[in-house]
Amino acid sequence: MLETRSLSKSFGPIQVTRNVSLKLEKGERRVILGPNGAGKTTLFNQLVGELTPDSGTIHLDGADVTALRVADRARRGLSRSYQKNTLFDGLTIAENLGLATAVALGKGQRLWSDPLQSAEVRETVREVAAMVDLAPHLDARVDSVSYGIRRQLEVGIALATRPKVILMDEPTSGVGPEMSKGFHRLLKALPRDLTILIIEHDMDLAFDVADTITVLNYGEVVFDGLPEAARGSSLLRDIYLGAWENA
Amino acid sequence: MFTHTPLRLATLALLAAASLTYALAAGFFGLEILAEIAILAILVIALDLVAGFGGMVSLCHGALMGVGAYAFTVAANDAGLTALPAMILAVALSTALAFAIGAVCARSTGIYFIMATLAFGQMAYSFVFQSPLFGGDDGLSGAPRPDMTALGIDLSDSRTFAIYALLLVALAYAIATATLRSGLGRSLVCLHHNEKRLRALGLTVWRAKATAFAISGALAGVAGCLAAQHTQYVSPGLLSWTVSGEALVVVILGGLGTLIGPILGAILFVILKHEISSITPYWHAIVGLILIAVVMSRAQGVFGFIEARMAARKPQAQIKKVKADA
Repeated sequence: MLETRSLSKSFGPIQVTRNVSLKLEKGERRVILGPNGAGKTTLFNQLVGELTPDSGTIHLDGADVTALRVADRARRGLSRSYQKNTLFDGLTIAENLGLATAVALGKGQRLWSDPLQSAEVRETVREVAAMVDLAPHLDARVDSVSYGIRRQLEVGIALATRPKVILMDEPTSGVGPEMSKGFHRLLKALPRDLTILIIEHDMDLAFDVADTITVLNYGEVVFDGLPEAARGSSLLRDIYLGAWENA
Repeated sequence: MFTHTPLRLATLALLAAASLTYALAAGFFGLEILAEIAILAILVIALDLVAGFGGMVSLCHGALMGVGAYAFTVAANDAGLTALPAMILAVALSTALAFAIGAVCARSTGIYFIMATLAFGQMAYSFVFQSPLFGGDDGLSGAPRPDMTALGIDLSDSRTFAIYALLLVALAYAIATATLRSGLGRSLVCLHHNEKRLRALGLTVWRAKATAFAISGALAGVAGCLAAQHTQYVSPGLLSWTVSGEALVVVILGGLGTLIGPILGAILFVILKHEISSITPYWHAIVGLILIAVVMSRAQGVFGFIEARMAARKPQAQIKKVKADA
């Protein structure tokens, strides 16, 4: 469903992505681990088109999308959430989800009618809100809800486009342990045919959700395999200085 | 999304009632001022749509208005079209030009966007100024007013023309609000604050911006046709960047991103211009001082100030009511 072949990217003399080759099957849930500065978010930015790789190719659902722009990739079913909330402040949660749905349905430039009033958009908003536990908060303005709810909305907006592949950049970033457990449930309950790639530092979540784990270090894939194998890897233990012995 | 609060509805009703009453009661000079206000009001509604809601601060709206005025005059005088088809043609030309400008400028933001629109505006100004087809510095005269005598309406009459101009303001306002309530309008407002996310959701950002700019250009074209019909004369000065700058001043003075505020700004600006200029030739300096006061007060213009005061009064009134009930 999503594949990269020998993807590389440098900023000046610093190589931030080194020959990264990944292959995600349909419905696979893969967690990307790696210390700060490992190039995880840079890899995401290349996958969605916000950064252009120096070399290598990106394939989505069998098609080479390396030359496509961000919006074109999104229309082909690639969606992402951000590490830092990028919401539409001043709008309600329903409007945030509705706008994302409307844009994904090609109604974001419709004249003379409000797509958020259409039955199709409203139905999607209800479904996505249920998926990310936001149904009770639909009428609340984004700037009036808690940080945790905003994180849920961040993921909800990405889901509202009905993607084939969703990239989540640290969905539990900044939330407490209880909220983090809620995210575990939420992610596990997502449709099984949805391909998910998650950057995560929360080891519990990583091992709980992942079908496969990829570890990046200095922009390079140093591990790619099953969670059980990752747990026993001494190389990974060294990278994380034993941080996940408690995981 | 753009909404009509009770205050906005009340202000609109008050403006409509006051302007119609004035149109029915005023003498010739008053009616000329009313028509002038109406032309400026349409132009600033057009500008507020893209600058106030979409964050696209334009310095080419004077040029778009001028293109509308010239296209109308040439179509009516040289191509022999009657006023209505000439207006449609002129507005279509302003729309197309605005779409092209929007499509190019959409790739930039902030100061670069402003400079790009300024460059386009000055190119249009220079072209019209230099071209013999458009009468050069002398401009063109003879722009006709629509012939509605079959309907018993005589637009050569100042009072009737002023009411016609007010109806066009209402039409421009209706188009702007309908746009803001559409899918495009929602995208436009959100683009202003979070372009990156909308792009990541699949929106073709340049097209959305260019379409909004085209609608704004159409309204500016309507203002141009009305300006040509009002004075029955067009000159290159209409396309000058100072007209765009003046429109921006009016939008900020009235209240950026409120639609109603710029209309209030247009009324204030034209009245101030006529009243103060009869006392001193330095009226621009006084308007400048007022603008500085508005900007420094961070009140989002005159209408923004009124809205903020009304919003602040609401909780106080509720506290008083609770105390009285207790």
